[in-house]
Amino acid sequence: MKMAPSAKKHAEQSWVIPGGFTVLPLKYSSDSVSQHSLYVKEHRVRAEKTTSRPLDRTLFVLNIPPYCSEEIIKDLFSTFGKVQSVELREKPGTTESSDLKLSKYFRPALTKGFSVGYVVFTSPSGVKAAKSHPRDIPLIVSTENHPVKVGIQKWIQQYRQSLINPEKLQAAVDTFMQGYDQKKEEESERQKEAEEDDEGWVKVTRGVRGSKARPHSEMANQRALQKEDKKRKRKELLNFYTWQHRQTQREHIAELRRKFEEDKQRIAVLRAQRKFRPY
Amino acid sequence: CKKRRTRLSQDAHVENSDPSSHGEEEEDEEELPTPSKATKTEDHASEESVPRPQKLSKGELYKPPTAEELHQLKEAESLFHCNLLKMQMEELLKEVVLSERRKRLVDSFIMKIKALLQNVPQTREVELNDHSWISEGVKVPFLWVPKTTKGKFHMAPPASVSLVGSYPLGTCTKPSVSVDLSVIMPPVRQDASLSQGTPSRTRTPDPPESRTRSNLLCHRAPPIPETVVFKENCNAAGAGLMYSNSLTVKIHVYPPPGFFKPSLFHPKRNNVRTHWYTGLEAPQPDAVGPPTPHYNSSLLGDVLPKAHLQFLSAISAQCSAFGEAVALLKVWLRQRQLDRGAGCFSGFVGSMLVAYLLSSHRVSNSMTAYQLLRNSLHFLASTDLTKNGITLAKNPDSKPTLHEFHSTFQVVFVDPSGYLNLCADMTANTYKQVQNEASLSLQFWDDPTVDGFQALLMTPKPLIRTCDHVFQLHGLVKLQASCKKLNLLGELMDHGGDYVLTALPFILSLLQLGLGKRIHLLTHSLTADPEWSVDSEPPKHKDQTPLSFGLLLNPEHSSSVLERGPPADSPEAAEFRQLWGPRAELRRFQDGAITEAVLWGGSSACQKRLVPREIITHLLQLHADIPESCVRYVGGLFDDVIKIGTGEEESLKVVQSFDDLSRKLWQLEDLPLSITSVQAAHPALRYTQVFPPVPQKLDYSFFEQDKQSRALVPHKDKPCPVFIPPLQVICHMEGSGKWPHERLAIRHVKAAFHIRLGELLRKQHMYTCSTTPTHVDVYKDGLIFRIQVAYHREPQVLRESIGPDGLLRYRDNEEAQALEMETLHRPYLTSTLHGLQQQHPSFGVTCRLAKRWLAAQLFSDEVDEDAADLLVASLFLQPVPFTPPSSPQVGFLRFLHLLSSFDWKNCPLVVNFNSQLTASDYVEIKNNFIASRESLPVMFIATPKDKKVSIWTKQGPSVQMLQRLIVVASESLRVLEAQLLDPSQNQDVRVALRPPLDMYDVLIHLNPKYVPLLDQAVDPPHITFSRGTVPGSAPSTRGLLPVIDFNPVSLYLAELRDAFGHLALFFCDPYGGTVIAVLWKPQAFKAQPFKTSQMSARCVEVSGDEAHSLPNVEAILEDFRIMGDALVRKVEPRMENWVV
Repeated sequence: MKMAPSAKKHAEQSWVIPGGFTVLPLKYSSDSVSQHSLYVKEHRVRAEKTTSRPLDRTLFVLNIPPYCSEEIIKDLFSTFGKVQSVELREKPGTTESSDLKLSKYFRPALTKGFSVGYVVFTSPSGVKAAKSHPRDIPLIVSTENHPVKVGIQKWIQQYRQSLINPEKLQAAVDTFMQGYDQKKEEESERQKEAEEDDEGWVKVTRGVRGSKARPHSEMANQRALQKEDKKRKRKELLNFYTWQHRQTQREHIAELRRKFEEDKQRIAVLRAQRKFRPY
Repeated sequence: CKKRRTRLSQDAHVENSDPSSHGEEEEDEEELPTPSKATKTEDHASEESVPRPQKLSKGELYKPPTAEELHQLKEAESLFHCNLLKMQMEELLKEVVLSERRKRLVDSFIMKIKALLQNVPQTREVELNDHSWISEGVKVPFLWVPKTTKGKFHMAPPASVSLVGSYPLGTCTKPSVSVDLSVIMPPVRQDASLSQGTPSRTRTPDPPESRTRSNLLCHRAPPIPETVVFKENCNAAGAGLMYSNSLTVKIHVYPPPGFFKPSLFHPKRNNVRTHWYTGLEAPQPDAVGPPTPHYNSSLLGDVLPKAHLQFLSAISAQCSAFGEAVALLKVWLRQRQLDRGAGCFSGFVGSMLVAYLLSSHRVSNSMTAYQLLRNSLHFLASTDLTKNGITLAKNPDSKPTLHEFHSTFQVVFVDPSGYLNLCADMTANTYKQVQNEASLSLQFWDDPTVDGFQALLMTPKPLIRTCDHVFQLHGLVKLQASCKKLNLLGELMDHGGDYVLTALPFILSLLQLGLGKRIHLLTHSLTADPEWSVDSEPPKHKDQTPLSFGLLLNPEHSSSVLERGPPADSPEAAEFRQLWGPRAELRRFQDGAITEAVLWGGSSACQKRLVPREIITHLLQLHADIPESCVRYVGGLFDDVIKIGTGEEESLKVVQSFDDLSRKLWQLEDLPLSITSVQAAHPALRYTQVFPPVPQKLDYSFFEQDKQSRALVPHKDKPCPVFIPPLQVICHMEGSGKWPHERLAIRHVKAAFHIRLGELLRKQHMYTCSTTPTHVDVYKDGLIFRIQVAYHREPQVLRESIGPDGLLRYRDNEEAQALEMETLHRPYLTSTLHGLQQQHPSFGVTCRLAKRWLAAQLFSDEVDEDAADLLVASLFLQPVPFTPPSSPQVGFLRFLHLLSSFDWKNCPLVVNFNSQLTASDYVEIKNNFIASRESLPVMFIATPKDKKVSIWTKQGPSVQMLQRLIVVASESLRVLEAQLLDPSQNQDVRVALRPPLDMYDVLIHLNPKYVPLLDQAVDPPHITFSRGTVPGSAPSTRGLLPVIDFNPVSLYLAELRDAFGHLALFFCDPYGGTVIAVLWKPQAFKAQPFKTSQMSARCVEVSGDEAHSLPNVEAILEDFRIMGDALVRKVEPRMENWVV
């Protein structure tokens, strides 16, 4: 709450570029020489209906440096108001719902490059405060109170985290598989129900799973066609009639000519590259 | 210094004063004003007439053929694999045969020379010793020993001047065009001067030589402004004038016909008096000295050229393809470096050979050049001229028999006169080399999978790239001592004191005997004919270029440390002892036999490979008095570069440990599904890891410990711990209905398998394991095996999707490809290469050298390990025109040559494992390649399992990087070959492994403390760090889990590429490199319009209503430091290379 009035005071100094993004300078530490710029804007997408990014309270942030994790961004943006959640992504876009449900062991790894973020504040005022942040006061990522781990320290920490307790992993697998089995069962139940037609008749088919569960595939189509072709070829008589024989000879000579022409062409290419100088 | 006047021959060269000419036709045209315009238009016209690619219309294709066309097509089909080879040979002939224009130029020049020679003025007689008449600045062109020779001579106009040799015959070829000009001395005068000059006219005919010289000196008169260079030519007489760099005119001075009786030159006759030669009074003046066959044949060679020309002209007139066949044979010989130098298989011998085949009706006059060449090679391959000599002489009576020739010469090919051995100076080893080359050529000639034309006629085969091991004798003066030791006075006299040529055959046979089964072939370089300018002293024998010898090793025996001789009591034992001297000793073997034997040193594989060196130096020292310091053995100079420990033994241990693990996996009980295969998928498991992992005992106090998982964790205040690479093992599980049919579920099931595997291995075999969802790491014998469970249907599941029409369809995607690569292709490649290593013991080491080079030159991210291994494998599977490399050194050199010379743009590189691909497959690959060249990787490698895609080079290199790779490879090859062949150069092969860094834009210097592989750096580091290891062997089971795959450098590189990969390229030597080189991409600094998806590391510039973004370079440079905190020592922007 303290930050809000001060931000207002400098409001005229905030830098909004064409496209509607506000530029927030960001430094790694107070003694850094250079600074990155974050580009922020309120999140506004027409089609989006997910509850995780409420339109009025979500701030869309571009160009977040690799050393900023979700916690650090949460810390940084707390100055503008209470942050409810932070989501970092490689590229702007909607989330895939299936990934979210996975346990941490199976989630796809985040890339270690620059990212975009969706910062959700508890109240819309946070978004406003962020957008009116003055251009000459940079955000500081690593402070004495909250040092950020980078380089060797970070990699050691990562290594430590990569050690996984097999029991926990097993538990995660079990939960997923239970859910999966349940889903499968439900599906087959539904299918069974669907097969029962209006009058209560059940169509009895051969396979239990195979033929019914999977639709007809492209591959099978092609294979059938090839088989036909082969069959036809086998039945044909070769060089049986005189005209057939003459035909094959004609074809042979034509083939030789075509090859000759091809070779001439190849030689021409090679000659153009001076490929015949032995030394 | 010994006397050298035994030759009639002095070559002199006149060099064009204009140094800019390089034999290029275009340049010639500019220099020579006369007919240039006409020829230029002619050339242009010929280029125009290049057959344009055209599609034949249906009518043309099916029109009735004429008889001639039919014949032509049929011939092409039956003679050649395709028209291509025929046309290629025709094109080649066009390149080497002299053009009409060139001939005119040559003719006009010859006319000038002729006129000059004809006008030599008559001079008064002077004493031979009197040099006062020689114009100033000109030196006597031979060693004037002994000084006291008496005799008089004078100059006289020649009786006739005429052309001989290949030029009038029409078999003269580019590039080294040489024209032989014979100058016949006036008969009477000459006779007189001869009789005055020497006691007998058959002895030491110096005067002609002097005359030659004086002739040449005359040529320095104003009419020809060129400088004269003398050249001594060993096998044919001659004095050369060199005209520009592309034409040599050799002036030979011959005595008049009938001056010498041929019978004087019977190989058994003596023509050099010992007392004359040595300067000592002979005890018995009438005693006949030892026969002087070489001297005789060199004299005789001077007498006969005219007769030879007539003979060859007669043959050539009967057979129309004779000239072309000889030209092809000459190209073939030249590419194999057999056609020049003392004792060479010259073009002249080649044409005589073709003439022999024609005159003995082994080939018919109507054959084409192609057939003649083929038959000549076949004849060479099948006929051993060292045992069964051939002769062109018609009526053998009263002429020396072949038997007599064989007793004096090593190789016998007698000319039509019946007295001259055309191969007099050739050593048996040189002929064996010719034979070997011929049979090799015939082997691949018919192989449709080989580009025969390239291999046969277009690929040069220098000694250093052909032979597995090479050694040089420098300090040739030592050979003088060996002549004495070998008691070769008679032979020395025969060779006119040239102790190098005298000793050579004896040294060769000695080494051949000593090396025995270890080698397939022992070859040697042919000493080049020395050349010197007229105003300098002639070179001495010891100044000659060092002799190079090459060994083709027999990998089965070459590195055995034991030389087992005959039983102690057999008569051969004495011989054996005599050969090996003090190294021979009696040994008792396990089978109870007591035999003579020699035991050579060497415990590791790379030391054993150098056993031939030990043998050679020992034998040369013992029998020829050549000290070890004179032998420069080039066979294992690269070993150092990849040596930490010894390498090969470590690889073997790794593979053994894997085999054990594999067995244990198969036998695991209580797995829900059974294992169907356990496959290795890591270079270390196929012997090609540059630095194979070495098990080490760990000092636990060096690390922090993670209590929960009983694992070691690196300590942040200590140097980076030892790097332990995980070795991938793919474990296929049996297919079963229990496997789910959905990607996420499969991943979870695999994770469950990993957990189970880990548990079982821990329980049943006490191994420490660490489980993750994607793999399980097993700590065994100090190594980490990373076992990955695979399900063979998974890639298919990943590809499945249901189309809008309800059909199940398969669409390829990257995820599926990556998975197939990991679980299918890489294990297969690993096992195939493992098999290749079993066939070719030097395969693995060659791969390691090649990859070390690639890494050192910062290419390891462009050409990945698998692709590099494939490239090396191609050298072993398709070595033509070479033999498969039997030493890592030659393999490495050929690797560099392959990189630098292969035509990546137009040809696919086919690696034919186990000869699975047939000729039709090759055609298919090639056609497919041509059809879709644009979309295929720039470096296209096809294998039996992968004919269309080249999966291993999909990711790289890019066109630019390949270009750079080619440049660097050819430069490295040049530097290395020069260094290996030239004893005067400093031997530091590491030169080729130090990359030039000046082209990069930013250098990031790393702190060596955190570079775990520092010890593997090209140049050994000054400081070393404790890496948490203690001496002792690693526990084979149990123990805390070590730090696996923790390499800050690669972690840092991955982060850099993720963050800035769109702006810059990052290069680093993964083996101990302490510098990361950064190169901005060409388009990096271009301003782009503001886009939300492309704002990484960019800053905005607003101009009016539009916002543009540029890379925030200052911040990026600082990020380099921040992201690599503690690892990065310094970020050094090279501002001279770039501006923002």
